[in-house]
Amino acid sequence: MFVLALRSVRHRPGRFLATLLSAFLGAAVVMTFAAMHDTAAGAGVDPVSAETLGTSASVVGGYGTLLVFFAVASALTVAVRQRAAELELLRCSGATPGQLRRMVVGEAVAVALAGALLAIGPALLGGRVLLTVFQDSGQVAGDVEYVFGALALSSGVGSTLLAAAGAAFLALRRVNRTGARRARARRLPAYAALAAGAASTCSTFGFSATAEALMAPPAYGAILLSVGCALLAPGLLTKLLGRLPLDGASVWLAVRNLRQRAGQLAGVLMSLTLFTAVATATLTVQAVESDAVAASGRVKSVDAKNLETLNLTVVGIIAVFVCVMLVNSLYAATTYRSREFGQQRLAGATPGQVLGTVGAEAVLLTVTGVFFGTLAALAGVVPFTVVRADGVLPGQFLGTWAAVASVGAAVTLGTSLATARHVLRTPAVGAVARPA
Amino acid sequence: MVRTGARHGQDAGPAAEALRLAGVGKTYGSAENAVTALDGVTLGLARGTFTAVMGPSGSGKSTLLRCAAGLERPDSGVVRVDGTELTGGTETELTKFRRGRVGFVFQEYNLLETLTVAQNTVLPLKLAGRRVDRRRTREVLASVGLGDRLGHRPGQLSGGQRQRVAIARVLVAEPRVIFADEPTGALDTRSARQVLGLLQDAVRSQGRTVVMVTHDPVAASYADAVVFLADGRLAGRMDAPTPDAVAERLAHLGDDAAVGV
Repeated sequence: MFVLALRSVRHRPGRFLATLLSAFLGAAVVMTFAAMHDTAAGAGVDPVSAETLGTSASVVGGYGTLLVFFAVASALTVAVRQRAAELELLRCSGATPGQLRRMVVGEAVAVALAGALLAIGPALLGGRVLLTVFQDSGQVAGDVEYVFGALALSSGVGSTLLAAAGAAFLALRRVNRTGARRARARRLPAYAALAAGAASTCSTFGFSATAEALMAPPAYGAILLSVGCALLAPGLLTKLLGRLPLDGASVWLAVRNLRQRAGQLAGVLMSLTLFTAVATATLTVQAVESDAVAASGRVKSVDAKNLETLNLTVVGIIAVFVCVMLVNSLYAATTYRSREFGQQRLAGATPGQVLGTVGAEAVLLTVTGVFFGTLAALAGVVPFTVVRADGVLPGQFLGTWAAVASVGAAVTLGTSLATARHVLRTPAVGAVARPA
Repeated sequence: MVRTGARHGQDAGPAAEALRLAGVGKTYGSAENAVTALDGVTLGLARGTFTAVMGPSGSGKSTLLRCAAGLERPDSGVVRVDGTELTGGTETELTKFRRGRVGFVFQEYNLLETLTVAQNTVLPLKLAGRRVDRRRTREVLASVGLGDRLGHRPGQLSGGQRQRVAIARVLVAEPRVIFADEPTGALDTRSARQVLGLLQDAVRSQGRTVVMVTHDPVAASYADAVVFLADGRLAGRMDAPTPDAVAERLAHLGDDAAVGV
């Protein structure tokens, strides 16, 4: 079965592009930060430099790894579901569930391995640049030697492979289930993620205001809460959509599509919710932290400025990563709908109406994703601000949130519509005939 | 070629000819490896007739259907549906032309999985911005034997039931011409008979015009006439077809083409 898996990867590289891209970027981000651990462990590194490097690697690298896990998982969920028909065919040709599992998981691992290996080069360079930024800002001594070692390699490759195998396994189980059982299967991990997220944000209160790792619990919490929300959101969206008094053929179709496909939307919703939550929470938390450091007067104002730039760079890498993942999952999900669009066109929809439907769906998705992402971000930001700055809602929140939400909305609408336009270039008859 | 067979005149359309193709040609590919799918086909079909189009694989049956139905632009020649010439090159223009004029039944049903039977049936009306008459929709669905399946999704239906939904979807929109592309190709014989009976009924009792591409002589025998196609050209015609006569004719289609019927 593994041979079959390799063969199917080799003959349809396009299908695995989304998974490959997410594995590649994910592994690159994890390795870049883990390389700071390797560097800190190098010979002759002074304790202050080692501590700075270690904190950055474990705080940002830590929630970064968690993020990579969910990003790769959501890309793979979309990929596996799109093959439901092929898997059914294999099942009918006599493949046992075990063989199918080995094939799908084997494919996922092979693709993730390729992605992770490709990421070694860029991560090697990325880590060096990151260290230079640390050194330029004076946080790390200039004579510290860059080391890209065993820890970077093993954590990058390991976490990517683990995410791929786990996600493929879970996605396959989900494909095999139907209706109510599927909904139930989603509810349990959703509650688990919500509980873990709530625990994580609450644990913020257990830290002292100046603890180095204070930024970690809110970030972990926001990630877990947004995953939990993203898993529950489709169900809530379905109920809500039933009550919306909407009119017009495109919107009519969009609402019915979303109600039916709500379960399948979890992957896209997860990317959007994660983006909103992680970008808003980490950027706001960073801004609060920078202000607090500047106010405490422990560092000179020039250094404070440097520190702020450095931290925003670090957090920015993560935000950009999640944004790319959002584009990736939207692209994969929309390309897959070529056949469905063809059927709409043959039933008398103009290309404009198909785009209208996609646009309406994207708007509803954006509202849902941004709403839950904002909740998760608030859950991370508020405890941090209470502990660090004795406030409740920092002044920076609104501006950051507005910027992140507009980027999220623009990316969701832009990617969906641009991909749909591209998909519509295939004549309707051809789009319907091609096996989905 | 024109049959005088418009049995019922309840349609308000002005044209006696539901479909007219004049010198229609279509070539795929470019330059060296160009394939001529249609080579100057001229054909007229009267209103209220049921015509089957037959021919071996690659004879241009499906291309003929797509060009006649306004799904594709022919390279040369003129297509008139219900007296109106097919013009305009963009997909939006073609879509608007098709609305209210033509309806489709495909081998693969092409129902939307996310919509219920009733919603699929009214989709063309919704998209065209026409009024949806719920009572009429229920009547039509009941007439194809799906009155108790309004809330089901296509995934919960058998192939025959899905194809009957597709037929109901066409009938509700009341098009001038119904095009069917191998409508029974994926069905068992009993479901196929039901589907063919419904198409026949649309012609006999509602005065619709049906054009059906098929490779099955039995399916073709439900039609009033069969038009044969070989190598992109018309290769004969048979009125009041029987399965045996059609099969016999298909087997000798090459001879007919040589004679130049």
